[in-house]
Amino acid sequence: MSDIFPKWTNRLPLQLIVAGSLLGLAVVAGVTYYFTPKFTRVGYQPAQPVPFSHAVHAGQLGLDCRYCHHGVEKSWYSNVPSASVCMNCHNQVLREDPRLAPVRESFESGKPLAWIQVHKLPDYVYFNHAVHVNRGVSCVECHGSIHEMDEVYHAKPLSMAFCLSCHRNPAEKLRPLERVTDLDWTWSEDKAESRRQQRLEGAKLAHNWKVESLVNCSACHR
Amino acid sequence: MSAEASAERTPAAGRRYWRGLEELDDSPEFRRYLEREFPEGAATGDSVSRRDFVRLMSASFLLAGFGLTGCRRPVETIVPFSRLPEGYVHGREQYFATAMPVRRGALPLLAKSADGRPVKLEGNGEHPLATKGTDAFAQAALLDLYDPDRSRKYLRNGTPVTEPEALSALDRLGGELTQRQGEGVRILARHSGSPTRQRLRAELERRWPQAKWHEYEPVGFDRPAAAAAAVFGTPLVPRYRWERAERILSLDCDFLGDEENAALNIKQFAGGRSVAQPGDSMNRLYAVEGLMTLTGSNADHRLRVPTGSVRAVAAALLVEALERIVSVQAASPDRIASLRRLAEQAAFDTAWVAEALGDLAAHRGRSLVVAGYRQPLEVHVLALALNQVLENVGKTVELVPDEQRPAGTISELKNELDAGAVDTLVILGGNPGYDAPAGLDWQATQRRAKRIVRLGYHEDETSGDVAWHVPQTHFLESWGDARTPDGTRVSVQPLIQPLFGGLSELEVIARLIQAGKADAHSLVRATFDAEVGGGEEAWKRFVHDGFLAGSASEPVADPLGFRWGQVFGEISSAASQAAPGSGALEAVFYRDAKMDDGRFNNNGWMQELPDPVTKLTWDNAALLSRLTARELGVENGDVVTLEANGRSITGPVLVQPGLADHTVGLAFGYGRSRTGRIGAFDGQTVGFDVNPLRPGEGGFTVAGVTAAKNGERQVLATTQAHWSMEGRAIVREANLEQFEAKPDFAAHMGLESHGGHLMHDEEGNPAPLYPHPYEERPSLESETHQWGMAIDLNRCVGCSACVVACQSENNVPIVGKEQVAMSREMHWLRIDRYYAGGTDARAGLSGLESDEDYQRQAWIDDPQVVSQPMLCQHCESAPCESVCPVNATVHDHEGLNVMVYNRCVGTRYCSNNCAWKVRRFNFFDYNKRPLERLYEGPLAERPADELELTSMVKNPDVSVRMRGVMEKCTFCVQRIETAKIRQKVAARDSGDIEVPDGAIQTACEQACPADAIVFGNLLGSTESRVKRQKANPRNYAVLGFLDTKPRTTYLAKVRNPNRKMPDYHELPLSTMEYSENMGNPFQDQPAGEGGHH
Repeated sequence: MSDIFPKWTNRLPLQLIVAGSLLGLAVVAGVTYYFTPKFTRVGYQPAQPVPFSHAVHAGQLGLDCRYCHHGVEKSWYSNVPSASVCMNCHNQVLREDPRLAPVRESFESGKPLAWIQVHKLPDYVYFNHAVHVNRGVSCVECHGSIHEMDEVYHAKPLSMAFCLSCHRNPAEKLRPLERVTDLDWTWSEDKAESRRQQRLEGAKLAHNWKVESLVNCSACHR
Repeated sequence: MSAEASAERTPAAGRRYWRGLEELDDSPEFRRYLEREFPEGAATGDSVSRRDFVRLMSASFLLAGFGLTGCRRPVETIVPFSRLPEGYVHGREQYFATAMPVRRGALPLLAKSADGRPVKLEGNGEHPLATKGTDAFAQAALLDLYDPDRSRKYLRNGTPVTEPEALSALDRLGGELTQRQGEGVRILARHSGSPTRQRLRAELERRWPQAKWHEYEPVGFDRPAAAAAAVFGTPLVPRYRWERAERILSLDCDFLGDEENAALNIKQFAGGRSVAQPGDSMNRLYAVEGLMTLTGSNADHRLRVPTGSVRAVAAALLVEALERIVSVQAASPDRIASLRRLAEQAAFDTAWVAEALGDLAAHRGRSLVVAGYRQPLEVHVLALALNQVLENVGKTVELVPDEQRPAGTISELKNELDAGAVDTLVILGGNPGYDAPAGLDWQATQRRAKRIVRLGYHEDETSGDVAWHVPQTHFLESWGDARTPDGTRVSVQPLIQPLFGGLSELEVIARLIQAGKADAHSLVRATFDAEVGGGEEAWKRFVHDGFLAGSASEPVADPLGFRWGQVFGEISSAASQAAPGSGALEAVFYRDAKMDDGRFNNNGWMQELPDPVTKLTWDNAALLSRLTARELGVENGDVVTLEANGRSITGPVLVQPGLADHTVGLAFGYGRSRTGRIGAFDGQTVGFDVNPLRPGEGGFTVAGVTAAKNGERQVLATTQAHWSMEGRAIVREANLEQFEAKPDFAAHMGLESHGGHLMHDEEGNPAPLYPHPYEERPSLESETHQWGMAIDLNRCVGCSACVVACQSENNVPIVGKEQVAMSREMHWLRIDRYYAGGTDARAGLSGLESDEDYQRQAWIDDPQVVSQPMLCQHCESAPCESVCPVNATVHDHEGLNVMVYNRCVGTRYCSNNCAWKVRRFNFFDYNKRPLERLYEGPLAERPADELELTSMVKNPDVSVRMRGVMEKCTFCVQRIETAKIRQKVAARDSGDIEVPDGAIQTACEQACPADAIVFGNLLGSTESRVKRQKANPRNYAVLGFLDTKPRTTYLAKVRNPNRKMPDYHELPLSTMEYSENMGNPFQDQPAGEGGHH
């Protein structure tokens, strides 16, 4: 019988298996990297209608987050301040600054400013700001170092895995309540010492405050 | 099954509970139906074939490939207020006190507002009547606000005009009419308890002395007041104190169902039904009626007589009372004789009447006799006379001054229209074009007015030929006021600006009579200042509380001379009436439990709500008794033509157990010729209009009706025959005496009390078939909260307010008649209604066929009824969880069986494995499709105006589910989480995170006027209501032998029959049936037997 298949075909199955598994690996790796919020969301930095700088207000001037985001302790939603809140100061400071023209206009006309949303969770996620900031989770844990940003960008992935990493072990992120809006605060100057203390003190806080590790679906999805 | 077969087949032995006559008949079709996982059509691809599906799918995959546009997240903006309203925190719900105006009164409410729009209505528990619960109407009223078919535009002769144009035209018209002192003006309004409307009416009559005010209600509730006025000679209205009544006799008065203020009545009535331990007192309810009403379903004794014969029963009661209890001087022998003649006009069980009266007489001053709106005035007079004889007046019946002023009737208005005396007709609300009696031929009659100004919520049957159509505002959009039944003044506070502009009734009157400021707020405020005073502070308090404390009307201290002469006068003037018979049926019209008189016709929640008694959705039917149906040779779904006085209507038949023979029950509110997308769902008018058969104003019965089968058949979408009880101890009941002897009787019933557990462990102890989540993973279990629910079947009357409340709270979609007929309704909470009846044991011994036949029919025609709310039981060892291949239904740490929509792939295994059949599957994208094309695929996009409006009613705290996922009761997890978060926010850096008892009320619990449902923490450091309920000896688990450890348990029902009554049964009928198979749970058990619980 003559050969129907040439000799090189003997190696074909092996080649196919190797190539297939490599391709599979590449797809898995690609999806894990490119198709998750770590890639798609982190770094998102839209231009806002007013060049508001958190670095100036929260960083240099040291305004407390809650001066503007005053709903954060009371509601699931942390509000973006109204023009009237901006004008509390800016009717004295930088009264004529052209950058603030849209704010003044909004305050006078009653027409709201349309800020571009940076942090957004899917509709089926019922995240609640109030319960986090009232129970020792700092803004910085999800929003990053806002007080150093000139224009806000998406610093953390805010994916389900990201939420769960903390929900599995909340002690790692808890801090004293009075330090929640102190974004620079650490347990110690020394990083290693800070980590050690976080483990120790965080566990104490979690125990005393009865902070549960909420990893059930009903904690975030209704 | 044919009617013949069903009537002549003896029910299978030992089977006395059935959910429908099909089941009693036990036909092979019904067997097959029962044995299917989902009923007919559930698994088929409907009208789309598999090939169509594949074609569509491949096309959509191809399209999805272009550009990966779906990967980019759309840019969204955050739009804060430019000036922040004081005290407003975005995202935090707000509650405002308001009230829903009903005919003569109002229901005090607390409305929840989310992001500036009302999303849920609850009872205002701070009101003096403590009306925490609501009725189904109040729950559904919210959906009316967002009705896409509501009237949106001002119309002049049918052409839209702008609001300013219309308003100035109205002003001009008002000026002209005022100048003419209202000459030729007639106003047609509905009943109202609003003090402001009363003030404006007086103002109108002052400014327009020539005008005349008429009122019309298709179903009015003014006869008790008319009777009191007749008997006492002054305008009085009786106010019933159900909570004081130990013995209640209803003369066709469905005070738990279709009478006004049912929610309040249920609350007070149910309070008298709750027994926690032996020795607790319990009221007893006697019902005399022709239709099968909710009140009759809950009665301890029910006398089934035709509706027209209730009068004779009332007369017989009074004869009995006057002869046996008290002699009244005015009751001369000939007057008594005339009364007796009245009593003899109908045949009924006189022993029943005598014993019932004996019981009432033994509770003088603590009993109550009430008559219903369907009954003529003389029955109301008789009821009042009975209360007088029984010394109830001033105790269980209080008389309070009647605030209502008399008005002209619609018949008088017709005469004036016919005489051409009407220049301008102002129709304020209502829909006489549909609901006026046929004799008035209203649509033609109203055209005789030269000009019609019409205020209407919809463009409907009355809107034809009107000069001006003014869109009416919803009560949540406009200021108003009202009085609750106790007379307390309540505020009707708006929560939102009118969505489409428009005016309220008050504003239209004020504008027309040129009474200065014509906005509703100023009008209501002016009334308040004039009648109450107290300035800004008092007003603010009034609006904040929603009621004016201490404004309840005081009962008239002395029942100022009962005029017996008037009583006998009314009776002697009563026309004689023949009892109905074959060939001359009696049609009885009733206010529908869902449509009311048609005002909820375009409300999807109400259309899909199963009627509390018939369990019919999306239709009305000609209700017939079993015997009558057999005589006519018709069965369920056969279309019949009913004819009387030369007019006829056509509709499908539904055989209703418990209905009086030769009675046809006809519900108002269906068959609207001009309605919206719901009232004409899928292009078909829902139901049939019964008004053409209605005699005249105020009449609720028509005699001499003939019925003829016309050969057609119609599908009726009932939920009644689903999920059979199969003779098990699902609802456990005892009579009061047995409960006293053996309070924990429920624990002695069911397979589990006979060692009939499904599974056992190695040691032979009962064990669940399915794994227990906390035994498998002990670390999962929370030590702070474990949720549970207890439902007291003794309090539940089956009113169905909870079903609508759940629908509103949890964004449960409507699915339409076609899908309900396939059992695809989405209600997370349903109310199972079981009938119990069957052969009398003695008849079984007699062997005489005719006697047996008679008895059998008597049993079937006089069933006992129980209602059982059924929702996810939140089993600990849940059968649904084990079978889910994708972990989409799992247990959380607080004992909730949670459903994860994003994981669900729609295998429906969980539903298959659920013994309680409480899981619901989204067969279609009900939220994304237009109402008239609900069952179509992605190509039928919902029109923007409809989508926007219907999205507004959604609860923002609950995910809206999509096609292909399973859903079910979550124990209102959003409310649980909200309460937990609130507690944690308050706890801050303390460990005080335990939610206090009562901080969480599930939607059903909150809406329940009977307080039958209690939810709470089973752990907890303090006493909780749910722990107390679960410790009640009546507590039991449905299907307990499965040992799934359900978190929802039930408190067994206790009936309170009177041993002396001819229809007394030693055991509740269902318990009798149970005993036949399983032994009498009340007989002494061997000593060892008692140890197992």
